[in-house]
Amino acid sequence: MARPPPNPLYILRGSGDVVNTLHFCCDGQGPSLLYSGSGKGAIHVWNLTTRRPECVLESHSGNSVIWLQALKESSTLISQGRDMRMCVWDLSEGRGALTDSLLTGSVGFCQCSLLETRPGSTLLAHPTEHMEEVSVVEMKSWTQVCTLKPDLKVGMLMCMKMWQAQSGPVLCAGYEDGSVILWDVSHRRPFSCLKAHTEPVMCLDVDVCRQKGVSGSSDNILHSWTIDDQRNLQMHSSVQLTNPGVSSARVRTDGKILATAGWDNNIRVFGWKKLKPLAVLQHHTDMVNTVAFSDHQDPPQRLLAAGSKDQRITVWSIYSES
Amino acid sequence: MESVGSKVPVRLQAGSSLRTLSTSRDPREIAKSLSTLTRLLENAEFTRLHYTHALQVLVSARTCQWFSSSSDDDEVRRLWQEFVFTGPPDQTLLVLLDTISSTEECAGLDRCVSVLEKFLSVGRLEALLWSRCVVGGACSDSSQLTETVIGHLAALPSITSNRLHTKTPDAFLPQQYYPLLATNILCTLEKTCQALRGGQDCSLGFVAQVLGKVCIQGYSSFIYEALVPRLSSLTHTDPLWQRVMQKLLEKIPERCMESVITGLILNLRGAAVVSRLMGNLVVTNKKAQFVLTHKLVLQQYQHPTQVLKSLLGYLALNAERRPLLKQVLRSACQVWCNSSAIKHTCVEQQLYISKALMLCVALLNHSEIEELREEMLQCMLGGVQCRLDSNIERIRRMGMVVGECLSQRLDVPGSQLKFKYEPDEEIKELKSLMESLSTKDSEEFEPEHQSDESRRLQPEFETSLTQSVTSQSGTDSDSELDSDDDLTPYDMSADQEKKKSAPPRYVRDCLEALISSNDAERVELSLHAAESLLRKNGKATQEVSVQFSKVLLHLDDRYNTEDFQVLRQNAMVALTVTDTKLVVEYLTTEFYSLNYSLRQRLDILEVLALSAQELSEPITNKHTGAQPIAAVAARDQTDDITHWRQIVEKRIQSKTRRITKGATQMVKAVPNRYAPVAGSFIFPLLRNYDRSQVTFDLLGTDHLVLGRLLHTLGLLMHLAINAPVASQMGRALLDFVWSVRFHTDQMVRRGVMFAVCAVFLSMPSDTLLTDLGDDLMETRNWLADVAENDCDTDCRSLAVQGLILLDKNLKTQLQLPDVES
Repeated sequence: MARPPPNPLYILRGSGDVVNTLHFCCDGQGPSLLYSGSGKGAIHVWNLTTRRPECVLESHSGNSVIWLQALKESSTLISQGRDMRMCVWDLSEGRGALTDSLLTGSVGFCQCSLLETRPGSTLLAHPTEHMEEVSVVEMKSWTQVCTLKPDLKVGMLMCMKMWQAQSGPVLCAGYEDGSVILWDVSHRRPFSCLKAHTEPVMCLDVDVCRQKGVSGSSDNILHSWTIDDQRNLQMHSSVQLTNPGVSSARVRTDGKILATAGWDNNIRVFGWKKLKPLAVLQHHTDMVNTVAFSDHQDPPQRLLAAGSKDQRITVWSIYSES
Repeated sequence: MESVGSKVPVRLQAGSSLRTLSTSRDPREIAKSLSTLTRLLENAEFTRLHYTHALQVLVSARTCQWFSSSSDDDEVRRLWQEFVFTGPPDQTLLVLLDTISSTEECAGLDRCVSVLEKFLSVGRLEALLWSRCVVGGACSDSSQLTETVIGHLAALPSITSNRLHTKTPDAFLPQQYYPLLATNILCTLEKTCQALRGGQDCSLGFVAQVLGKVCIQGYSSFIYEALVPRLSSLTHTDPLWQRVMQKLLEKIPERCMESVITGLILNLRGAAVVSRLMGNLVVTNKKAQFVLTHKLVLQQYQHPTQVLKSLLGYLALNAERRPLLKQVLRSACQVWCNSSAIKHTCVEQQLYISKALMLCVALLNHSEIEELREEMLQCMLGGVQCRLDSNIERIRRMGMVVGECLSQRLDVPGSQLKFKYEPDEEIKELKSLMESLSTKDSEEFEPEHQSDESRRLQPEFETSLTQSVTSQSGTDSDSELDSDDDLTPYDMSADQEKKKSAPPRYVRDCLEALISSNDAERVELSLHAAESLLRKNGKATQEVSVQFSKVLLHLDDRYNTEDFQVLRQNAMVALTVTDTKLVVEYLTTEFYSLNYSLRQRLDILEVLALSAQELSEPITNKHTGAQPIAAVAARDQTDDITHWRQIVEKRIQSKTRRITKGATQMVKAVPNRYAPVAGSFIFPLLRNYDRSQVTFDLLGTDHLVLGRLLHTLGLLMHLAINAPVASQMGRALLDFVWSVRFHTDQMVRRGVMFAVCAVFLSMPSDTLLTDLGDDLMETRNWLADVAENDCDTDCRSLAVQGLILLDKNLKTQLQLPDVES
C-alpha cells in the first residue's frame, strides 16, 4: 500500500481574491519571501517565517496581476497586469514604491519572461499588441532589442520562457495551435518548431541544465521534449492526466520533480526524467492557477507553493528529504 | 514297439494304453503307456481322432489321483508334459477348458488350472494361432470346431472365472490374458511375414476371427493397448507389415468389423498411422465405411477430439478416400443445420459434430470447397440461424464460431460473418481445429513432419523473442540513468475524473433527473445514488415508488453508462423491497401488458426474484438499522416480548426436572418479510400466461421469457418455504407447469423441472400428496421418462432430483402413521 499523499505544510489565506501567480524569493538575505499576485491587483509579500503578509501592494489599478518576478540583485520586483502594463517596484528597506512602468499593449494572458544576462543588464520578453508577437526589451532603458514573429500561422502567443545559451539568449514560446517554437533571439529567427499539442499550449517550463522542457495544454496530455545540439525540439515522453487542463508547470531546480497546476483543483507531481506520476495533492476547492518551487539554497527547505482560484495559497514540502 | 505300432491299428494301441493308465498303479506300466502315447503323437490319425480322448483320460480325476501318488517319478512327469504340451494345441485348450468348467472343486481342478497356466506361459497359444495360419495345415478342420476354438480362445477369462470365482489365477484375468493373446497374435503375424518372405502362403482368417471375437466381447482396449504401439512402429518401416495388417482387417468377419475398427481408431494416434494400418479398407468394406463415416462421426459423440482428427485426417490422406471426406462433410452439414437436431440432441453431441465439421472444412482444399460451396453456404446460414435462436448460450456461441470459420473458409468477399463473444476454452479448441490444419498442406499431414516443423519453428520463435527482449532492454539501459525510480509514488487512488455536478440528495431529485435530464453525468450520478437513497428514505420512497419503478423500467442506457444494468436493477430491487405491495403489483401487471420488449420483461422477472430473495432473509437488526425511527419504535415492543418470554422460560426451567442435560439447541424460527407477501408475487404472474398478444406470445415464439418465468416462479416458490401460502402456491404452480411440461425448448423444460423441484421441496408433504392425488403416478412416470430420455443433461439431473424429492415426500408421508401406531 502506497503511503497517503501529504497534507499542505501550511495554508496562506487572505489574498482576498483569485491567486494568479506566485514567486519565491529566498536569496538568504533577510527572511524567505513569497510574492503572490491576485485577481484584484493586490501583490502580497508573504513572510514565510511568520506566515503573514509583510506588505500588500495595490497595483495595476485593480486589474488582475498575472505575473511576478523579483530581480536577483537589489530588491526589485516586476509585475505584469491585465491593464497592459509592466510595473517595476522597489521593495528595499520596507519600501513599496512603483519606480517604473511600461505599456506593452498586450491584452492576452501570456506571461512575460525575464533574463538577467549579467548584473545590471536584464532582458525582458513580453507579449505585444500583436497577438502572436514577442518583443524583447532591455530593462534599464526599455529599448527594444528585437521582435519575434512566426512566419507560420500558429495563432496567439500563450506562454514563453527565455534563457541564456552559449550562442546568446534563446526563447521558447508556446502558441495557440499547440506548437512550441524555439527562437534564436540574437538572430531573430526560429531554430525549430514542434507541434506538441492539439489544443493551445497553456504553460511551459524549460530545465536549462538538461536542455529539456515540458508543456501543458488544455487537453489531458502533458508532453516533455528535449533540445538537441542542433537546437531541434524533439518529443521525449508524455503522460496522460485524469482530467484535462494544466494552467502551470514548473520543474524544480534540482531537476528531480515537476509540478503542475490542474484545472481539476489538483496539484500533480511527476518525476522529471520520465514523467512518472508521483503524487496528486488535493486540497483546493477550485482550479489551481499557478505552482512555484522555492529557490532556497538549502534543499530541504525548497517548498512547493500553489495558488488557486479559491483564494488560497498552499505550501507543500514534497520529495525534499534528499 | 515301432513295428508293433505300424501293425496294430492306432485305435487299439491308444485304447490299451489308456486302459492301462486309468487302471494301473504301477509306475513302470504307466511310464510305458505314456511313452507309447507320446510316440503316437507323430501319427496324424491319432492326433486327429484320439488325442482329445487320451487327454481327457489323462486329466480326469482318476488319473490325477495316481499322478499325485507318483509325483516323485521324474520320467512319468516328463513324458506327461511332453504329451500335453506337444500335442495339437487347439485340442489341448478345449479339453483343459472343458475339464475346468465341468469338474467339481478338487485336486484335479487345481491340477488342470496349473496345466492351463503352463499352457499359456510356454507359448502354446502362438502355436495354436500359427497352426491355423499355415495354408493346408490344420484348417481342414470342420468350421464348427474352428468356431468352438475361437470361442474358447476369446472367452478364456470368462470360462475360467465362472468356475474358479475368486480363486482365478491372475494369468486368466482379462488384464493379463488379453495382452498375452495380443503378443501371441503379434508373434504369429511376425511369423506370417517371414513365411511370406519365404514365398509361403498364409491365411489370416483365423487370427482375424479371434481378434474380431475378442473385440466384440468388449476387450478391444486390452488387446490394442498391447498391439498398437508395436504395430505402428513396424508398419512405419516395413510395407509388408502394412499389407499383412490390411489383409488381416479385411478378413475380420462382418459382424465384428465395427468393434474392431472402433477399438483400433480409438487407440491410434495420428492420421498417418491409421492410414498405414487400414489402407483403403474404408473404401472396400461397406461396413467399415459405415462405421467410420457415419457412426463415429454422426451418431457417437463420446470420443475425444483426437479420434476425430485421426479419422478425418485418414480420410483426407488418400485421393481414393477423399470423396468419402466430402460425403462426411455433406452429412455433417445436413445434421448441423437441422433445426430439429439442435432441439433434440444434447449439447455435447452438437459440439462433437461442430468439431467434425470444422475438421472436414479445414482438411478440404480450395477446389473441393468450391465444389461443395452450395451445401456449405446453406448449412452455414441455416445452422447459424437456428443456433442463434437457441436459449442456451453454449449453443449460440458454437453457432457463432462455426459460422465465422465457415464463412472465412468459403471466403465470400465482403460478406464474412463476424460475431462478438467471449472466447472460452471450448471456443478456443474449436477455433484451433480450423487453424492447426489449414496452415499446412493436408496431403502431407503426418505427425513426424509436424513435430519436425514445430521443432524448427521453436528456435525461430525463441530467437525473435529474445531479440525483442534485448531490443527492449537496450532502450531500457539507455534510459536507466534516466528513470524516476528513486522517487516512490504516493497513493494516487483519489485521483478520479472530476464530475461536473453533484449527486442528488433527495429521492424526488433523483427521480426528476432520471426522467428529464439530458445531462449524461447527472443521469449517471442519479443512477449511482438511487439505490442508497431509496433504501435510506423509506417514507419518501413509498410516495413515489410506482412512478419510480415505471421510470426505471423504461430507462434506456442512452449515455452508455458503466454498469447500467446492475445499477438499474439494484435500484428497482430497492424499490420493491421498500414498498413491496404496490411495486410488486405494478411489476406483475406490467409483465403481461402490451408494448414491452423481451428485455424489459426479463428485467421484471429478475427484479422480482432478487427482491423475493432479499425479503426472505431473516429479519435481523441489521435491516432495521437502516430505518432508525422504526427500529426505535419496534424495540419497545420486542423488549416487552422478551421480558414476557423470559419469565415463562424461567418458570418452565424451574418446574421441569431434567435427567440428562444434552445440548438441546433448538433452531430458532425467525420471521421474514417475504412470507406475508409471497402470494402477491406469484399469483399475478400465473394469471395471464395463455393470453397471447400481438407483441408478446409467451407460449409461442417467446419461449426465452417462458423459460425465465418458470425459473423465477420456481425460485419464488422455493423462497416461500414454510410460509402458510406455500401449499396454494405450489398447487397453482403445478397446474401451470403441467400444461408446458412437454415444451420443445430445453430452457423451458429446465425451467419446468426447476419449478417442479421447488414445489416438491417447499410444499408440505401431506398437502402435496393430496393435491397430486391421481396425478401422482403420472407425475412419477413423466419424471422418470425425462430422467432417462431427455437430451439435455440439466433436465435429466433435475428430473432425477425431482424424483428423489417426490419419493422422500412419499416416504415421510407413508411412514408417519407407522411410527404413531
